[in-house]
Amino acid sequence: MRDIRPSWGRRLIALLLVGFAAAYMVPLAIVVLNSVRSVEDIIQTSTIGWPRALVLSNFTEAWGHYCIAEVCTGIRPYLWNSLAITVPGTLMSTLLGAVAGYAISLWRFRGDAWIFGLVTLGVFLPEQMKLLPWAIVLRDVGLSNTLTGLVMIHTIQGLSFSTLFCRNYYVAIPQDLIKAARIDGAGFFRTFWRIVLPLSPPILIVTVIWQFTGIYNEFLYGVTFTNGTQQPITAALISLTANVANVPQYGVQSAAVLIAAAPTLLVYLLGGRWFVRGLTAGAVK
Amino acid sequence: MRRISRRAVLAVPVGLLAASRVAHAQTVKPRLTLISQWSTGSDGAAITALGKKFEERGGTWQHSPVPGFTTDMMNKLRAQIMAGDPPACSQLKGPDIAAWSKIAPTVNLDAVITAAGYEKVIAPDLAKIHAPFGHWLAMPLQVYRTNTMFYSKRAMDRAKATKIPTNWAEFNELAENMKAAGIASPFANGGLRFDDGMKFETSLAGINPAVYRAAVMELDAKALQSKEVHDAFVQVRKLANWQDPNVATQHYSVFLPRFIKGDMGILLSGGWAQGVMLNAGYKLDDFILAPGPTENGKPVFILNADAFIFWQRKEADLQAGQMLMADLVMQPAIQTMYSQITGSIPVRTDADLSGPGWSDGQREAAKTLKEAVAVNQVVMSLGHNMAQPNAMTAAMLDAIGEYAHDRTMTPDQGVARLIEAVDSART
Amino acid sequence: MIGSPTRNDRAPGGMLAWRVLRRLPELVVIWVPLLLCAGQVVVFTIWTTVVSFTPSTLMPVTGWVGMRNYTAMLASRNWHIAFDNLLIFGFGFVVLAIAVGLLLAVLLDQRIRGENVMRTIFLYPMAVSFVVTGTVWSWLLNPGIGVQKLVQGLGWSGFRFDWLVRPDMAIYTIIIAAVWQASGFAMALFTAGLRSVEPDLIKAAQIDGAGPWRTYLRVVLPTLWPIVIAVLVILLQFAIKAFDLVRALTDGGPGLSTQLPTLVVYDFMFQRGLLGRGSAAAVLMLLTLLAVLAPYGLWKHWQTRRAARA
Repeated sequence: MRDIRPSWGRRLIALLLVGFAAAYMVPLAIVVLNSVRSVEDIIQTSTIGWPRALVLSNFTEAWGHYCIAEVCTGIRPYLWNSLAITVPGTLMSTLLGAVAGYAISLWRFRGDAWIFGLVTLGVFLPEQMKLLPWAIVLRDVGLSNTLTGLVMIHTIQGLSFSTLFCRNYYVAIPQDLIKAARIDGAGFFRTFWRIVLPLSPPILIVTVIWQFTGIYNEFLYGVTFTNGTQQPITAALISLTANVANVPQYGVQSAAVLIAAAPTLLVYLLGGRWFVRGLTAGAVK
Repeated sequence: MRRISRRAVLAVPVGLLAASRVAHAQTVKPRLTLISQWSTGSDGAAITALGKKFEERGGTWQHSPVPGFTTDMMNKLRAQIMAGDPPACSQLKGPDIAAWSKIAPTVNLDAVITAAGYEKVIAPDLAKIHAPFGHWLAMPLQVYRTNTMFYSKRAMDRAKATKIPTNWAEFNELAENMKAAGIASPFANGGLRFDDGMKFETSLAGINPAVYRAAVMELDAKALQSKEVHDAFVQVRKLANWQDPNVATQHYSVFLPRFIKGDMGILLSGGWAQGVMLNAGYKLDDFILAPGPTENGKPVFILNADAFIFWQRKEADLQAGQMLMADLVMQPAIQTMYSQITGSIPVRTDADLSGPGWSDGQREAAKTLKEAVAVNQVVMSLGHNMAQPNAMTAAMLDAIGEYAHDRTMTPDQGVARLIEAVDSART
Repeated sequence: MIGSPTRNDRAPGGMLAWRVLRRLPELVVIWVPLLLCAGQVVVFTIWTTVVSFTPSTLMPVTGWVGMRNYTAMLASRNWHIAFDNLLIFGFGFVVLAIAVGLLLAVLLDQRIRGENVMRTIFLYPMAVSFVVTGTVWSWLLNPGIGVQKLVQGLGWSGFRFDWLVRPDMAIYTIIIAAVWQASGFAMALFTAGLRSVEPDLIKAAQIDGAGPWRTYLRVVLPTLWPIVIAVLVILLQFAIKAFDLVRALTDGGPGLSTQLPTLVVYDFMFQRGLLGRGSAAAVLMLLTLLAVLAPYGLWKHWQTRRAARA
């Protein structure tokens, strides 16, 4: 692959790639264009089109002034709420998942296959089904309507993915390394710290990116289990869309979408390279 | 998992009156926790204004708007009730009021209503919805008419039409004239579920409100198989064919510019659409507002109303807040303020709409409501969850929506599907 | 006993309790999160199954209605359409996403200039929330304002691309939007796989005189087989859980034509206030999933058994 270069082929390949890339960029381009158009412009022409006049106020409006009922702070506080939920949830579920993956694949214990199977099944459970059970659990542990409650939910659910990713990665680590460490007297934690963790960065980055995106973009629990100004940014975005009695505020909505997507886009831009590297190192088998 | 007995509900008002008197004596600062879906636009502005009035009267206003659709708000309410922490007040409407009042204790409003003499100034049809078991459970907030027709001035001029249609024959003729004049899609409605529901209910109620009542509100099997229901489906097909062929599940506001410009001619919507158009930068003389067509010459009013329900709380400040809120919502000045912001009609039949701040459309709708009450032609909106509980409404809208979006379905098939849906949702 | 493969590291002559106590931190750290997670999976599934046998409407209540909720759901048009759509969407989406991902990975593997930029461009859709994806694609695919209008405006007036508004074709638009969102992930996984192909294999094939296509087909792609399985799992869970995307793109419409099981569950549970019916739909969905996963699980089990024996 690296040494093949028929030049007609290369030009065709380049053309195909550029074509695909353009197609992939179109949705983002539409949102970017809409974010600099005024609402009247969009309503009166179309949701897809060039700006009649460049309007930058959508961003300031979305960031600091937009009103959700009585609260006119824009989406700024909701962004912090989302980060307050996403960052701890991501860190905890990744770390715990790494330890769990290590325990299941390298340390081994009775019943590890069963537990792993059950945990992995969690990857497939749809969240609509779990809404009411979580409401009951939150009530019983006294965390209803708190950001901590949401972090707990996302950590426990996130464990399914992170354990799956980490375990599949760690099985590639030779057992001899672990055996050698044990013979030298290292216990569970020492082995993890000294041997396993240094080998983990690629998979940890993959897991962090995956979890961050998943928790950040989540809407259903965010709306149901928070109140008012505690809500995450996904909830604030929805309030910008149409309901029965209003015209959708497309311009402000697009600006808000871009602002809201900034953290995840940033994570992908910065971590994207590591993402592939991590997967190259055998993340998912 | 709680079931409450009627006795428990009845026992509340006495205790509550006593509590509120005690609260008064101790001057507890009233507080209200409120859940609604009104987070933006004119709804958001109206509820915010109401909140300010609440605070002016010395209360603490804690409103949690839930973004999204009504279901999201209901989910939040459900989660709160399950957590044992229902809000002091929440938005609720239609048959849902009866259904939800069975899962958690609500405050009985009989004493408050009687003390204010409110029953005399509420339309009897509203009373049935908000006092479903004989005592008042919910406080109506505002009334909308959903069979309102908007006619684009410019489109009318293009079609050289001067007469506003009063029955379906005239309406259909106008639409055909518009098509002949070069307006390819005269009907400016969207394709969302409630929109499809409104097309059907306006057609049927316009044809015969008594049959509407029997078929849609009472689910009478004979009425569902009647000629009138069949004719309503025929009319819905006409309306669907006059819409933009590319309308999928779009909101009607997408077509507003073409409607105003005259490239589309007629919009069927509730009174709120006027506020939407004004907010979008259009003017009152860009369109003409008129009641929906009716076959028997007498006015038909399809009703949609929002209300507040109060959930029982032990805290004295919340109880005081509930009483304050109930009191506020009954007052003429508050209702005027609220309806002027949202474009609805006040609940009080003795409200005076002659002052500034009211549009002609609102005045006309209020007048029509009075007249329709007098001839018993007020019916409940299907598309807006007033005629049936949610499960039945959803089943009926499934059938109606499929029919509206599938040109290959015949009216007979549509009727059959509807009957099938009603039967399966009945069990 | 947990984690003690050899005799040598047992505490010399220590009592059982002392040994467990020493291992307590590690036991806690291993078992507590895993039990919480697995517990959540098991308990919530059981809860949903129990509710599916009750007459619950707005709130969960006790009671027993036998199979009534199941028969009602299995008889409903909503479920039939949703189930058929899941098969169409699931199959179409997974196959297309794998194909596009593989194609992009192979193309990018050709050492074109700017491959890092391209890779980021193909990956970023995963960062976008499903609601935004659905909304933007609903504009793009709308014949009146999107692709059809554009192409017709360019002069090709007979061009039609109105799948979004046709009940018989709308489900395919969901495949398009979903592939856009997820194919980047498939591409990333395939890229990783392509990078780990051993150079010796390729050299050997080239020495044998195989041209570039032959080399790919005969040598490289077969080694990607395990990756395909991994991608399948990720894409499958994406397809099953697809909810926000469909709601934003078509809201289950036009009519009922793009209903999917997750939408039916949500619709019946929460919009209609029929928790019993909705839970039955959820259980039916899980059973369908099990029917797909069980063969894979068994095959994996048989595979590891075979490898252990070898």
